[in-house]
Amino acid sequence: MSLFWIVVHQLAEIEAMTASKKVITREEWEKKLKDVKIKKEDMNKLVMNFLVTEGYVDAAEKFRKESGTEPDIDLATITDRMAVKKAVQCGNVEDAIEKVNDLNPEILDTNPQLFFHLQQQRLIELIRNGKVEEALEFAQEELAPRGEENQSFLEELERTVALLAFEDVSNCPVGELLDISQRLKTASEVNAAILTSQSHEKDPKLPSLLKMLIWAQNQLDEKAAYPRINDLSTAMLEDPTV
Amino acid sequence: MPSSASASVSASVSVSVSASASSTTTSGPHSDLLTRLTSSESEVQLKALRELKNRIIGNRTKKLSFIKLGLVPPVAAILASKAQVQAQAQAQAHHDSNLLVQSAAALGSFACGFDAGVRAVLDAGVFPNLFLLLSHPDDKVVDAGARSLRMIYQSKLAPKCDFLQEKNMEFLLSLLNSENENVTGLGASIIIHSCESTAEQKALCHAGVVKKLISLLEGSLSQRDNSLESLATVMKNNVEAVSEFVGSESGRALSSVIELTKDRYPRTRLLASMCLIVIRNTSACYLQDIGIKTKLVHLLLELHDDPGQVGDEAPFAFSSLISEKPDLQKLAFEANAIDKLYNHLQKSQLYPKRFQGILLALADLCSKLESCRSRFLSLQALNLVSDALTHDSSDVRTAACMCLRCVSRSIKNLCAGNFLNEMIVPPLVRLLDDPSTSVQVAAISVIGNIAVDFTMRRSLFVQCGGVKQLVQLSKSMDSTVRLNALWALRNMMFLADNVFKEGIFMEFTASSLASVICDPEPFVQEQALALIRNLVDGCIKSVDLVFTEDGMILDAVGRQLQNASTDEIWIQGMHVLSNVASGTEFHKEAVMHQLIPQEDNGTQSFILKFLQSNESQLRTAAVWAIVNLTFPSSPGSFSRLVKLHSAGIVSQIKSMVHDPCPDVKLRVRTALGQFTTFGDCST
Repeated sequence: MSLFWIVVHQLAEIEAMTASKKVITREEWEKKLKDVKIKKEDMNKLVMNFLVTEGYVDAAEKFRKESGTEPDIDLATITDRMAVKKAVQCGNVEDAIEKVNDLNPEILDTNPQLFFHLQQQRLIELIRNGKVEEALEFAQEELAPRGEENQSFLEELERTVALLAFEDVSNCPVGELLDISQRLKTASEVNAAILTSQSHEKDPKLPSLLKMLIWAQNQLDEKAAYPRINDLSTAMLEDPTV
Repeated sequence: MPSSASASVSASVSVSVSASASSTTTSGPHSDLLTRLTSSESEVQLKALRELKNRIIGNRTKKLSFIKLGLVPPVAAILASKAQVQAQAQAQAHHDSNLLVQSAAALGSFACGFDAGVRAVLDAGVFPNLFLLLSHPDDKVVDAGARSLRMIYQSKLAPKCDFLQEKNMEFLLSLLNSENENVTGLGASIIIHSCESTAEQKALCHAGVVKKLISLLEGSLSQRDNSLESLATVMKNNVEAVSEFVGSESGRALSSVIELTKDRYPRTRLLASMCLIVIRNTSACYLQDIGIKTKLVHLLLELHDDPGQVGDEAPFAFSSLISEKPDLQKLAFEANAIDKLYNHLQKSQLYPKRFQGILLALADLCSKLESCRSRFLSLQALNLVSDALTHDSSDVRTAACMCLRCVSRSIKNLCAGNFLNEMIVPPLVRLLDDPSTSVQVAAISVIGNIAVDFTMRRSLFVQCGGVKQLVQLSKSMDSTVRLNALWALRNMMFLADNVFKEGIFMEFTASSLASVICDPEPFVQEQALALIRNLVDGCIKSVDLVFTEDGMILDAVGRQLQNASTDEIWIQGMHVLSNVASGTEFHKEAVMHQLIPQEDNGTQSFILKFLQSNESQLRTAAVWAIVNLTFPSSPGSFSRLVKLHSAGIVSQIKSMVHDPCPDVKLRVRTALGQFTTFGDCST
């Protein structure tokens, strides 16, 4: 977070000068960076937040022991959440639904869109496995009433059922529904809903900080030449090309 | 297969899918659920409960059909049988906990967002048993019980909790003080559902609930949201609670709510702004600076963009912010509110609640400021509103009428006849027949507004059968409907020509008019008299109308003047007499007959009482009648003056020469001037 503020601060300073691009040497830049104190615990919390939100339960447990950082959520619930996510990713949607309902029955009762997407995924899996009759019965019994309640669900349902009309799905205009990415999309939607129900933010903080960093650097580029971070994975400062 | 073929394929599939939806039943493999739920083996019961729960969650159709199959009572029976914790072996205890969790979850799901389900659960008598679960040693059972109760408390059907009873208050505090988030959430739901009266709000404050809720603002996301909503409930229209809240922690509680209007979660932003609106609306001394006002306006307009529940509720919150407050309406106008709301209105397939909310918000925006109305009309928004008059939902139809009513307050557009057209009048007249009374009343009130200037195209209204309908409605069983129908007819009668007046009169008939004048409700009587007043205002021919059927209308007016007891009724009735007295000799004598009864039974004439009234409008009307009765060029004026003199009226008028009201004074002088042309008969 602090890194972001340095850049913003720089921006404000430079704004005042308006003249041609200012050049900031590596020395000056590093000195400024050193002046900013970032608490170790804050960095640890950021890491823990990432591990918890993304569901790396073992890593979180180890990190807790090593760094003494307490997660803001019961680690046991991560295991349950990951089991649900995994079930969707493997196509065991019915199993996933039952697990979510055991975790907290409110989630699917108060989230019609998520519930519809899970049922839609179930239908997609039936179609993928060639269970045409079962798929049709399921669509009529479970999904059609949802379509009656909501116009956009009906449209999505029509799109999904259209899969049945094509022998060769590779040519089918709605073929992407059968992609693995569809499962991942549904899985992350469930993951987010479970996190929200546990009063936890659904996205980790780290990626949005990185996005802020990139934004701030882009803003700064217009005003100054400075040692930039180009490769986020190494976070190396690269000398400005003057 | 070419992709062009897919369209027809998917279309035909969709037809078969939705057609079969209505015939979906729960027979077949699931009809044995009932048997399994009532099985003597608890293993079988547990499996059946889980299956039932997983089938109904998220599925309203299933909930309804299982309720009809009678599955709620056996689930309730399982819960009731295990709710009392008994000393038992661990394995058995674990099994019982499972049964409780599953049955509570199933009951909660039946009740979730579904009033029929709430009713079924309450009817099964399981409500007290669910409360027992809150003190269960197993946390999972506590969670399940609290969740289910919360679902029930979200419905209007849930029983109210009487906070004035000490043990209930203690119980509520124990919920709010719990470590368990679901339990504190339940406490908040109970407050939101049950706290209505000021006495209850005060009791909650005295018990320290405001403090507790403030501390929950620091809690988890859901605790924060619950706390904001409960705080709004406790503070609404309660100055004492507001000042406790604003003053607590030297203003930090208020600042943290203001901070929460910037939260990343839209729901939290909405609830925080609703809390601030309640504070503002309750105590005029807080949150008055332009900065916070502007912020709230912009925030609420932005929340309209939310596709979910927050977006549905945002227009209602916006309305409560701007309603009756021209300064905020102006800010909203400057923030482009009319255009923004109009853009939302243009979206197809609006959820009825949102549709209703946006129409009401537009109504509030246009209720006072002409600038808002002009902008609204320039956007052609009227077309969308007139479409809404035929919407399936009665709430939307009512809201569309309210919106039209506020927009039609624009005198400029009213005079231009911009509302009296084929697009608006026929659907409005059809709404007079609406099965919902609130729609009827709302439609009548629009007609009343636009009827004020009917000079141009009143024929359109008559052609649609509007007059006939209104006359029918003025005889309705519902007094609000009668009141509004008479008010609309009264406005229509205003400055109308004689042919039109006669049309309404014939439709109404003299005997019905006489009977609405004597309506049991005073406010209906007043409107009826005002209607007659407008009827007899103007030409002699229309005055003649009240003399049909032996003058029964005039007799009814006289009776009301004698017997009624409110100034408003007297004022309207006196204006009727004064208007009639402007007519022919015959008319004037009839009025004299009402004013001074033939047989002197010792009672004072009511006009003396009116002349001495504190209400200047009543004095004006009374003097005006005397002026009309003693008009010098009328042959009978002198003999009438003599009668008025002996009834003590002339001397009363003489005593009013310095009346504090200029209107009265002017007419008193006219009257006195007329008296002197006959020579002073008092000497």
